[in-house]
Amino acid sequence: MDSDSILKVENLSVIYQSRRGPVRAVREVSFDLKKGENLALIGESGCGKTTLGLALIRLLSKSARIVQGKILYRQGDRIIDVLSLSDDEVRRFRWQECAMVFQAALNAFNPVIRIWDHIYETAKSHGWTNRNEVREEALELFRMVQLDPHRVIDAYPHELSGGMRQRVLIAMSLLLKPQILILDEPTTALDILTQRTIIELLRRLKEEFHFSMIFISHDLALAAELADRVATMYAGRIIELTDVDSAFERPRHPYTYSLIRTVPTVHGDFQQLQSIPGSPPDLITPPQGCRFHPRCAFMTGSCLDEDPNLMPVDEKSAVACWRWREIDLRIKEAAER
Amino acid sequence: MASPARTLQPPFSFLLRLRKSYIVRRTLNAFFKVFLVTTLIFFLIRLMPASPVDVYINLLISQYGMPYEEARNMAAALFSLDLDAPLHLQYIDFLLNLLKGDLGISLVSRGTPVIQMIGRFLPWTLFSVGVAILLSFSVGMLLGMFMAYRRGSLLDTLLTTFASVMSSIPNYLVAILLLVFVGVQWQWVSIHAMRGSLSPGVVPGFNWTFISDALYHAALPIFTYFITTVGQWMLSMKSSTMSTLEEDYVTVARARGLPDRRIALMYVGRNASLPLFTQLALQIGFAAGAGLLIETFFVYQGVGKLLIDSINQRDYTVMQGCFLIITVMVIFANLFADLLYGRLDPRIRIVGGGS
Repeated sequence: MDSDSILKVENLSVIYQSRRGPVRAVREVSFDLKKGENLALIGESGCGKTTLGLALIRLLSKSARIVQGKILYRQGDRIIDVLSLSDDEVRRFRWQECAMVFQAALNAFNPVIRIWDHIYETAKSHGWTNRNEVREEALELFRMVQLDPHRVIDAYPHELSGGMRQRVLIAMSLLLKPQILILDEPTTALDILTQRTIIELLRRLKEEFHFSMIFISHDLALAAELADRVATMYAGRIIELTDVDSAFERPRHPYTYSLIRTVPTVHGDFQQLQSIPGSPPDLITPPQGCRFHPRCAFMTGSCLDEDPNLMPVDEKSAVACWRWREIDLRIKEAAER
Repeated sequence: MASPARTLQPPFSFLLRLRKSYIVRRTLNAFFKVFLVTTLIFFLIRLMPASPVDVYINLLISQYGMPYEEARNMAAALFSLDLDAPLHLQYIDFLLNLLKGDLGISLVSRGTPVIQMIGRFLPWTLFSVGVAILLSFSVGMLLGMFMAYRRGSLLDTLLTTFASVMSSIPNYLVAILLLVFVGVQWQWVSIHAMRGSLSPGVVPGFNWTFISDALYHAALPIFTYFITTVGQWMLSMKSSTMSTLEEDYVTVARARGLPDRRIALMYVGRNASLPLFTQLALQIGFAAGAGLLIETFFVYQGVGKLLIDSINQRDYTVMQGCFLIITVMVIFANLFADLLYGRLDPRIRIVGGGS
């Protein structure tokens, strides 16, 4: 593990048991997260992004199992193997070291207790029992996320709007000063103005607290705006891992390329918009060879034989495609024309 | 423009506020319902075939072999109540007395005020039904939650089967089975000694002798209520818990690193049990009626038995009293459940509800 990394995931695979057979939701995923870095996990629904996020804090449902791999986390000078932590250690690892803000912030709070109860029980569960201190900290965090602190802290969840609840959850995720913040579709359920506020907010909070961020999204605009690096997932694998500029301007994987072309740009014309033909593969009986070949315009015979691993392209990027060189050339030519 | 409410003088605005108050509205509503049911009962029981006098005459003829004439004279002398008075006058009389808290005097057990009879019988019903409901509610909730947490396991399958079977058997059938097998065939308990509400010579008081004796006599009715209602609680709680476990706030609570015990108690248990409190009120209502047969079978001196006896003797005033009590119990249990629900679930708390 590099000294500037905070998290290192090696060869991680997660399988869900289903009636039809094992679902390989995450397959041999490896990546690392640097201190203070923002990593975006992008991909279509069902590509394994959320499963990967949940696996990082070992919050998978009972039907899921981590079948192989390692998750290493740096805590000061120590390196912790997350998968070998005891149940109680995992419990304390969650939120204190690695907090996760969920997609459905609307339902993230227990409807029968006040926001303050949520805050205090979170602090208490991690051994922080000084009520006044916790309250002061919470009020300060609410102020930072632009909420009326005194009104919000004594409110019941149903008394707050969706955007307010999302901000409360974000504020609460920073209560214990975690080193990593995982955000699962942090803006999906919100209207466009509220989305804007949340993005600005995350930026400012990062400056203040210096946490690392993994955000899971299918919103490419959000990724372009917040991420330092982008990991594209397809059928449970990371198929391209690259810095944000390359991801949008020089994607090597045909899937990343198509994904970017599905979204209108501010100055681009709409004729360039293209949907990706076909649909995401079945993860129980995935296609032979490269998982993307049935939908790929660049497919050749070799793609049917073997699934490519993530291979380094340059010092910043890695891609899992047999034909990335040709594609790279073709895209460059297309851009020049 | 100011609303008329704001321009009113203080005493009137107070009245307006009172009218708006949820609790006051619900309570008035409850009283109205009691009045409606009581009126219905008053007229319905007088539509039953055979009056108390007829029943008494038949009794005298069949028991003492009296000639009809003699029995009729004796009965007429016994019943001071003028049952031939016009119905609406009787009704007005009844209502006026009711307002004074007077339920009248038993027609058959002459001279005994109905209120006194109810005072003697009601505590036993409240005691047995109350203990049973509390027991089956809490046991059912615990088992239901357990089943939801262990869904799919062998124990869950067994308990679910048990609960389905038990909640579909009527309680009087269980009572008969208990009497026939446990009491008579196998003689595990002495049903003779268990009759009544207390053993002779035991004085009510806050001591172990009294409590254990009361429980001993109430054991069979309590067991019958318990075994026939616990299944419903188990199944309701199981399904409620299973859907609560799927809620996002449970996942988020785990992500927040809360201990499992706290999540089970404050997140799953508390939310899953909410819908059950409404059911609880209905259960109390049904239990008051269910007591009719159960108390009669086990010869337990509760309101149910009193009611059955009074129906057999056409003791109009006692019947009215018993029905009134059962009605009040059902309606106010419902009211209580509503108010309780508001306290338990902040989303239901009504604006202006006050406390």
